[in-house]
Amino acid sequence: MSETLALDHPEAQVAPARSGHTGATWSARLGNLFEASLIWLVLLGGWFLAAEFTPLGDNPLVPSPQLTLRSLWESLPELWVGTLSSFSILLPGFALASVLGIVSGLGIGTSPRLQRVFFPFARVAAPVPPTVYIPYAIAILPTFKLSAIFVVFIGAFWPIFQNAAAGAHALEQRYRDNASILGLTGFEYHWRVVFPAALPHIFSGMAVGLGFSFILLTVAELFGANAGLGRFVQYYADFADYPKMVAGILYTGLVTFLAMTGLEALKRRALFWQR
Amino acid sequence: MSHGLHLNGVDFSYDASRILAGIDLSVPAGQFVTLLGASGSGKSTLLRLVAGLQFPQQGKLVWDGKPITGPGLERGVVFQDYALFPWLSVVDNIAIAIGKARPATRKAERRAESKDYLRKVGLEAAIGKYPFELSGGMRQRAAIARALALGSPLLLMDEPFGALDPVNRARLQDLLLEIWEAATPKKTIVFVTHDVDEALYLGDRVVILGSTPGRVIADLPVEFPRHRDRRALFDSDAFHHLRESIAETLAADTLRQLIAA
Repeated sequence: MSETLALDHPEAQVAPARSGHTGATWSARLGNLFEASLIWLVLLGGWFLAAEFTPLGDNPLVPSPQLTLRSLWESLPELWVGTLSSFSILLPGFALASVLGIVSGLGIGTSPRLQRVFFPFARVAAPVPPTVYIPYAIAILPTFKLSAIFVVFIGAFWPIFQNAAAGAHALEQRYRDNASILGLTGFEYHWRVVFPAALPHIFSGMAVGLGFSFILLTVAELFGANAGLGRFVQYYADFADYPKMVAGILYTGLVTFLAMTGLEALKRRALFWQR
Repeated sequence: MSHGLHLNGVDFSYDASRILAGIDLSVPAGQFVTLLGASGSGKSTLLRLVAGLQFPQQGKLVWDGKPITGPGLERGVVFQDYALFPWLSVVDNIAIAIGKARPATRKAERRAESKDYLRKVGLEAAIGKYPFELSGGMRQRAAIARALALGSPLLLMDEPFGALDPVNRARLQDLLLEIWEAATPKKTIVFVTHDVDEALYLGDRVVILGSTPGRVIADLPVEFPRHRDRRALFDSDAFHHLRESIAETLAADTLRQLIAA
């Protein structure tokens, strides 16, 4: 978790040295902005130069940034429809995985007996790559959408479940003592003590689960969707329309980033009480 | 005999090491007892047994005529630190205790009542705040407020002021005495500390535990009149004599341990 935090806020490590004087704030901010965008600028510049001034530019597989941007602009309505279609799979699958993963993880994580029953199964079932379920899910479930939701659910469920169970299991003695003293048991104990205490773990699990959800979503869409982000990329690759394909990749990356940022913001809100 | 706290031949071991051996202790209702001992004397363990958080291998613990079989709201506990849930506001931390002690109350009543308790411990400023926004001393005040809100006739305090600076420690000692002396009927308090001055300033009686295994090595009445004045008491000869004899008892126990080791 600390590694993710460091990735998200590299400026946090240098901030104390810079934030001392108010006069330096603006130049410090500009400096931070420059550092944060450096790799982007280098990549974009390299791409532009390669497409304009090298033989690579004659290859249809390497569309220029301008061409890609124009394709992106032209495809926005289609990409928007694709986004809605993708999210109508991602959201139900991820939400169901979150609810069931948290509830069962907290319940099992606090009960040694349930752990003895479920963990031997979970240890075998969790590592199975969820992608292998895709053909079977499509065969068994009545619609493509349902099978895709199912696969997203499976992929997101295990990391959320495992982290919720670990968080509940690692509940500090002092919180358990306090709950006992106050007579908090059963649902009340889980809802008011175990759940909030396990939230840092749960959010880690949800971040991993959300990442898996996007992977599984786009993979599932290659199989049978008629719209969606993964479908968009595959469709234009089939027609060798590489500017649109690359535009689709960039757009999907942006959407994934925004979803992760949203989850991160939710986490910071929910964990305000952590120092 | 039936009122108050009674421990009879209490033995407790953990991982094959004996923590407490044959503890006999009777605390009449309304008495303020301080448990004094070096670290490793099992004084916190003894408190956990009375709280019902752990169970002895042998012996009986009885509160108010009923054997102790687990935690109960009639026995409130204040720990050294982290007594509050950090994800609940200070008011809600106390309201949750009120909700358990008096389930019939409504949410708004609980919050109003918990604010009253916060005022009682001088924490008006903490209303609407979260534990991470409070200093250590303020957090312990809130913990005391929560224990009071439970309305428990028996209060178990495990070095509650141990992590505080001397000024805050003295303030909270005074606050605790003020609250305890004002209440009728008086609460029974078992207060664990390793600070001799604190034990003598607060207690009606000091029970000293020796180390490895923990057992009662001295049980002394502290007969200074109540509404004690800190400065006058600490300057008095009687206080010095008692303090010296306790220090000697503790030193002798340490020496015995060193020889045994």
